[in-house]
Amino acid sequence: MGTNMSQRQLCKPWEHRYSRRQLLGTMAAGGLGLRSFLQPSVADELAKNDKQVLLIWLDGGMSQLESWDPKPNTEFGGPFRAIPTSVPGINVCELLQHTAKQMHHLAVLRSVCTQDNSHSAGVARINRGDPKNRGVEYPFLGSAVAKLLGPTSSGMPPYVWIKPYSGGFKASDAGFLGAKYGALALGDGKPPDNLLLNKSISAEENELRNELRQKFDERYAVGRRKEWTEANSYVYELAKKLMDRGDLFDESSFTDKDRERYGTHELGRHLLLARRTLETGVRFVKVNSYHWDSHGDNFNACDSLIRQFDQPFAALIEDLHDRSMLNNVLVIVMSEFGRTPKINSHVGRDHWPEAWSIAMAGAGIKRGVVVGKTNDQGTFVDGQPHDIGDLFHTWFKAMGVPQELMQYDNHGQPLPVAHDDCSPISELLA
Amino acid sequence: MIRFGLCRIIIHSLILMIIGMPALWADDHPLALQIDELIAAKSDGQQPAPCSDDAEFLRRICLDLSGRIPTTDETRRFLDNPALDKRAEMIDQLLAAPTYAQRMQELFHVVLMERRGDNEKWSNYLRTAFEQNKHWDQIVRELLFPDAEDESRRGAGFFYSKRLEAYGQNPTDYPGLTRDVGRLFLGADLQCAQCHNHLFIDDYKQHDFQGLYSVYLNLSINSGLEFPAVTEKPMQKKLEFVSVFDATQRETGPRIPFASEFAIPEQSKEGPAVSVLARLADEFPTQGNSIFAKNIANRLWFVMMGRGLVHPLDLHHSGNPPSHPELLDLLASEFAAHQYDIKWMLRELALTQTYQCSSRFPVTLADTADAATEVSTTQISPESYVLFNEKRMLAEQLLHSTLQATGNLDRLQQPAADGKPNPELVDLTAKYVAAFANEAREPEDQINPTVKGALFTLNDETLLQLLSRQPGNLIDRLMTMTDEQLLAEELYLSIFTRKPTDVERTELFAWLAQNGDGREKAIRLLAWSMLTSMEFVVNH
Repeated sequence: MGTNMSQRQLCKPWEHRYSRRQLLGTMAAGGLGLRSFLQPSVADELAKNDKQVLLIWLDGGMSQLESWDPKPNTEFGGPFRAIPTSVPGINVCELLQHTAKQMHHLAVLRSVCTQDNSHSAGVARINRGDPKNRGVEYPFLGSAVAKLLGPTSSGMPPYVWIKPYSGGFKASDAGFLGAKYGALALGDGKPPDNLLLNKSISAEENELRNELRQKFDERYAVGRRKEWTEANSYVYELAKKLMDRGDLFDESSFTDKDRERYGTHELGRHLLLARRTLETGVRFVKVNSYHWDSHGDNFNACDSLIRQFDQPFAALIEDLHDRSMLNNVLVIVMSEFGRTPKINSHVGRDHWPEAWSIAMAGAGIKRGVVVGKTNDQGTFVDGQPHDIGDLFHTWFKAMGVPQELMQYDNHGQPLPVAHDDCSPISELLA
Repeated sequence: MIRFGLCRIIIHSLILMIIGMPALWADDHPLALQIDELIAAKSDGQQPAPCSDDAEFLRRICLDLSGRIPTTDETRRFLDNPALDKRAEMIDQLLAAPTYAQRMQELFHVVLMERRGDNEKWSNYLRTAFEQNKHWDQIVRELLFPDAEDESRRGAGFFYSKRLEAYGQNPTDYPGLTRDVGRLFLGADLQCAQCHNHLFIDDYKQHDFQGLYSVYLNLSINSGLEFPAVTEKPMQKKLEFVSVFDATQRETGPRIPFASEFAIPEQSKEGPAVSVLARLADEFPTQGNSIFAKNIANRLWFVMMGRGLVHPLDLHHSGNPPSHPELLDLLASEFAAHQYDIKWMLRELALTQTYQCSSRFPVTLADTADAATEVSTTQISPESYVLFNEKRMLAEQLLHSTLQATGNLDRLQQPAADGKPNPELVDLTAKYVAAFANEAREPEDQINPTVKGALFTLNDETLLQLLSRQPGNLIDRLMTMTDEQLLAEELYLSIFTRKPTDVERTELFAWLAQNGDGREKAIRLLAWSMLTSMEFVVNH
């Protein structure tokens, strides 16, 4: 794929073939984009919004006590120390030694209090921001953002999910929004099937056949419902963008220094790929890491897992800052719940939604703050607890989602984007 | 609207001719006519789209009843046939053709298994069932009680056995099986009623779920046979359950959801075990079970009309009423009265003007770019049925139609030397399912273009090979034609099942003229564009 990059800087052959394009007629020119799904004024406003999101999902539940909210030398504190960070007065667990140096970019909410303590309920509820039950399946955050903000001006698919195991196109995150808002999943960071232009088709021919298809579609849509044709155009546009950016998946193009800083382990590689994915203009990137459910041997597990997170996460925050991307990219680190302060007989920590922490940084978020606190034992929130619905409001606000978009239209049924009884946490907002 | 009126008269007079009815009077209305009246009564003054033209109708009915688009010969014959009753004749012909059973096998496989996987015995079972026109109640009885002793039921066990397999980290998903039986045969998704009475669907009670669940907890896979089968342990006692809302201990015996509980059968020491499953299968799909009748009537309506009268299809309850309650009642009771004869039902639906109406409002063809001449479709709801609802094609329909259009179907349907299906067809089928089907356990109930599908059509080698010139295939036929008028007709009839308009002919001639030196390539690019366009990939 190395040659793609150099080719892209040249004129495309078809740019010199105006006569053929003329034949295709005026209908082929405009193209239907996501724009046509929205009212014009909102679309114009969104065109200016270049906010992006990176969600790091630590599946199974990260221990807050071994990360963002250490309680050393207390009954449930465990063996690790707390260390100072780049922000005087804020300490984190020593397992976050690299992240501690980036604390001045981060905001940590230590007063998260949610409800579900099973994985099956918790994963869905946290990812959906726990909207009120209205008999529909709400989208996960990535699909919601794909719907609300659409692709960035890059035209890249709005929702890319970097994950271990299988890839493909995962519709299940989209809920009632429909498969179109699902995630393009890069299984183990690998590109999707059929990404490379078939060798029997030249770039020029590819352009031509797509223009012809588009023309047939536009003709078909006359007098008919438009939504399916728009959806068809949209997926072909995304496919084209992906094919054009095949270099995204070329791991060999990362520098040795990058690899060393992020680490060559799975989460390290995936966060490095996430950086590049954000650089290509994908609106929402989700990175999943699994096996955080440390019911047994929690401290050895954390010693390994949290360090696997710490190194690439700190490198990523540093890089986003260096590239002036942190003003535009909202970074979120969360799980379905935290872990029990009480240490069980397997030296493990179990599921604990009552008092845990979520970290964030970047677009619209205050820098270098801790908001909320737990009691001295770390067992419960001390003061105002915050549910996931509050965080969704906070993040939508940080992303600059306009007020008129804070409601979905589900075939005539108005549905609030986030829980009606929750509201943004102003202490977290810049 | 003259066309529309005329068409309506023709269709309805045909129905009368066919049924041999001398005149109209209320009690002896043919069902098709009653359906159209009930639809018209709720159209809120919205002028319906005109009747489909013959080509539009033919493509639609072939896709629905034979699972593929017609050949150019079939289309030409149909378009040239002057007979007034040719539509009804075509419907009967398609219902009688061997392709009907294949289409129904593919359709019901997807409906019943939701892409969990396939099995040869299972496909044979479904194929045979539709070849014999087994009625729906009989099929469901066999699915619910796949008696291994009864040879004609072998293969039906796949419905249970596949669902009892562990997948991923999940142990045997008994709640999932219970849920699916409710969803697929009663149109009721009882999942939330597993742990408590449903919060906002008053009709769904926890005992409805638990009663059915109690039966399935005794089921396990019988892997010792060469066909998919299950083993049933005798039920010993009632199932105890607790609502998560109040700690009250409750219990239930076996129960068909929304019906009363029945007693656990006494097991005698001698003789075979008495099967609860057998009793369930006997009492579930009855003529008197109106919930059972409404579910299947609604599902067949959806297959033909592209939108359930109750939608989503598995949420029948009083808070989600049908768009046309009288119509659903009528369909359900008529269907039950005809002993759940699927072929009869599909025929009745196909004869309606509702089915035969166009998916498109007419426009001034001379100036298609001028939006002012278009009727706005944005306010037309899918449940009004005044504009035919475009339908998703199953991966199988899309594959067979693509093979038909590109002139490769006959070749690929030839079995291999060992009698097994052509390996190229097997390979293509797997690829089409991977590219166009939903993920397992997700119903395929709406048009769903995906980037995955787009990348497949853009770049997959086997698909693009269908457009390489091989003796007798579409590209070959077109390349041998010197008369460009004939070429244009052949291309459009092959792919779009219609003749090209004047504008399209002119464009095609210009396209060919511009690419004089690369004619084959130009034709291939054009054919690819047509095959990937909406006009081809949806059933409209």
